[in-house]
Amino acid sequence: MRLTQVVSSRWLRLVVLLCVAGLNIEYTSAQDAEAVSPKSVESAETSSERGLVQQFNDALKPVDKYFGKVNGYIEQIIFYPVPLGGKDTIPAAVLLLLLGATFFTIRMGFINIRGFKHAVMVTAGKYDNPDDQGEVTHFQALTAALSATVGLGNIAGVAIAICIGGPGATLWMILAGFIGMSSKFVECTLGQKYREERPDGRIMGGAMYYLSRGLPELGLGPLGKVLGIMFAVLCVGGSFAGGNSFQVKMSLGAVAQTLPFLAAPEVVGAADYRWIYGLLMSIVTGMVIIGGIRRIASAAEKIVPAMCGIYVLAALVILLKNIDQIPMALQLILNDAFTGTAVSGGLVGVLVVGFQRAAFSNEAGVGSAAIAHAAAKTEYPVREGMVALLGPFIDTVVICSMTALVIVITGAWDPVEHPEFASLIETKNGAALTSVAMDTQIPGFRYVLSVAVVLFAFSTMISWSYYGERCWAFLFGDNASMSYRIIFLIFTFLGSIVSATNVLNFGDLMIFGMAIPNIIGVVLLSGKVRKDLDEYWQKLKNGDLEVSGEKSVADFGE
Amino acid sequence: MTYSISKIVVPIDFSGESRHAIARAVNIAGDASRLHLVHVLLPLDTVSPGVLLGDVSDDSRRKTVTEKLNTLAAEHGAAEAAVSVLLGTPGMEIADYAKDQDADLIVIPSHGYHGIKRMFLGSVAERVIRHAECSVLVLRRSDAG
Repeated sequence: MRLTQVVSSRWLRLVVLLCVAGLNIEYTSAQDAEAVSPKSVESAETSSERGLVQQFNDALKPVDKYFGKVNGYIEQIIFYPVPLGGKDTIPAAVLLLLLGATFFTIRMGFINIRGFKHAVMVTAGKYDNPDDQGEVTHFQALTAALSATVGLGNIAGVAIAICIGGPGATLWMILAGFIGMSSKFVECTLGQKYREERPDGRIMGGAMYYLSRGLPELGLGPLGKVLGIMFAVLCVGGSFAGGNSFQVKMSLGAVAQTLPFLAAPEVVGAADYRWIYGLLMSIVTGMVIIGGIRRIASAAEKIVPAMCGIYVLAALVILLKNIDQIPMALQLILNDAFTGTAVSGGLVGVLVVGFQRAAFSNEAGVGSAAIAHAAAKTEYPVREGMVALLGPFIDTVVICSMTALVIVITGAWDPVEHPEFASLIETKNGAALTSVAMDTQIPGFRYVLSVAVVLFAFSTMISWSYYGERCWAFLFGDNASMSYRIIFLIFTFLGSIVSATNVLNFGDLMIFGMAIPNIIGVVLLSGKVRKDLDEYWQKLKNGDLEVSGEKSVADFGE
Repeated sequence: MTYSISKIVVPIDFSGESRHAIARAVNIAGDASRLHLVHVLLPLDTVSPGVLLGDVSDDSRRKTVTEKLNTLAAEHGAAEAAVSVLLGTPGMEIADYAKDQDADLIVIPSHGYHGIKRMFLGSVAERVIRHAECSVLVLRRSDAG
């Protein structure tokens, strides 16, 4: 008891301190900005006149440096450049995800192809039974999982990948997304199989549960426990950085294209209003996760499928407008995929860029989506796995490809032919690149895209806060959520002002680190999934499942 | 001074220990109708798919837990026991409930958490002891050190 009091009072003090510090930064930087902006250039040199946001970043430099060092060590393991012959290398985590996806595709007998039709039927609600245990329908679980992966990666990340890897990267990205469907199937089936149901009907599931509960069935109890904790710790870290700060930072970059006053100051000491965006994001997120106003998040999550639809539709309009160029673009993609000469990387270079982009975007093999899919109402874990395999398909095979095709068709990837895009490519501003490329075809679309980007970022943050909170509860108990939420909000705000790239990279490392315990565990448990799959498939072929599906619909109708 | 027992509150978290507590309470009361089985729900999160997109709400949770409490009571020969579902911080809610109901005794198991879990969770039993105005019987786990 006393210990709890000490801890909570420390928390309280920490929070108060940070709030005060935060307010201080905001207040003074606003003052600074007004006072400094007219004479910003001449006053920029002296440190005493630097805005507080800059001073904060200056003070953070040693921390960033430290993270840089730590990242170096972790990077050496997670992103270890595995040689692929010649000068070319592939980061270890990407290789692991690829090998995993290939293994699962073969082990599950190409479930990504043979299960596709059934997956669509299940998602459409044909097999929904409201009496099954769980929290949400198949479609709702897929929506939640997709809102975590569909985001800036699909818009900004892909654009940059095509510029770096060349048009051929598109083909390898699609292929990686395609085999990633099998990874998603296996991990989400396991998420369902080893979920825990609380007495109040809530579901707890995900990689930390199947690792710690599934592996003991194979006589690997201690390994399961270690991997489960490792996964949960990395997921919490990833949720603070990659699923939060990074989203704020990236969406701010995109928003600043339409609202230039939110951009990072080009001159040291000049007005810096980025904190406004950070504060707004923290307030809105705080209203949801602490204030309990779930309608905002609920609305955002429900809008995500519509936003994906609008984006794909806009891309299709652009493709139709340029239908005469499509054969040429496809030829360019196919040729470049096997030669890699369009940019410079060569075959392996273009392959790695494509694979990496898919892995970054759909998170297949990372284990995160299993947390959301575990909550679905279903009688058969395999059935939810089927639904989950649509995730990488929609995220990568459909949405990422659309971005890639638009970038290829508009020539935005090629700074030699289209010098107007050169500066955006140079600064790696992928969001702006896609935005400008689409705007040239559909005037005014960049405003739609700015809104979409903020919504995607927000819904990704909400979903990741759910992933992180579940892992936090796994580590520290159901009652510990408030401390998690407060730390989450601090990172939301920091995302807008921290220029410390190493701190942010650390978060990226953590998300890919999750793949290590996950893939090990999922490979070990894949035999069980195969067995369940075979049983389910047999029932499906015999028509046993159709009957129960129709019956449940009939019951529901009454 | 006598200790007459006419009403016993038994906090239930559906663990093996809390099942054991029902049996002990029935033993002490002699009549299961004197038992009040209580479960405390923690406040609902606002980011899980069930809350945002599905139909998980405090009402749905109350309903599910009440059904489970009734089943549990019946399984332990305490079908006549009253059941209640509360919402809030477990320790405080249990103590307040006992006070409102004029209970004579609270029978609560101790889980014996250690380390980090204890730091974050504290002990519900400790809080109940501190805040309750009636007697509290803490059942020690047989394997607790």
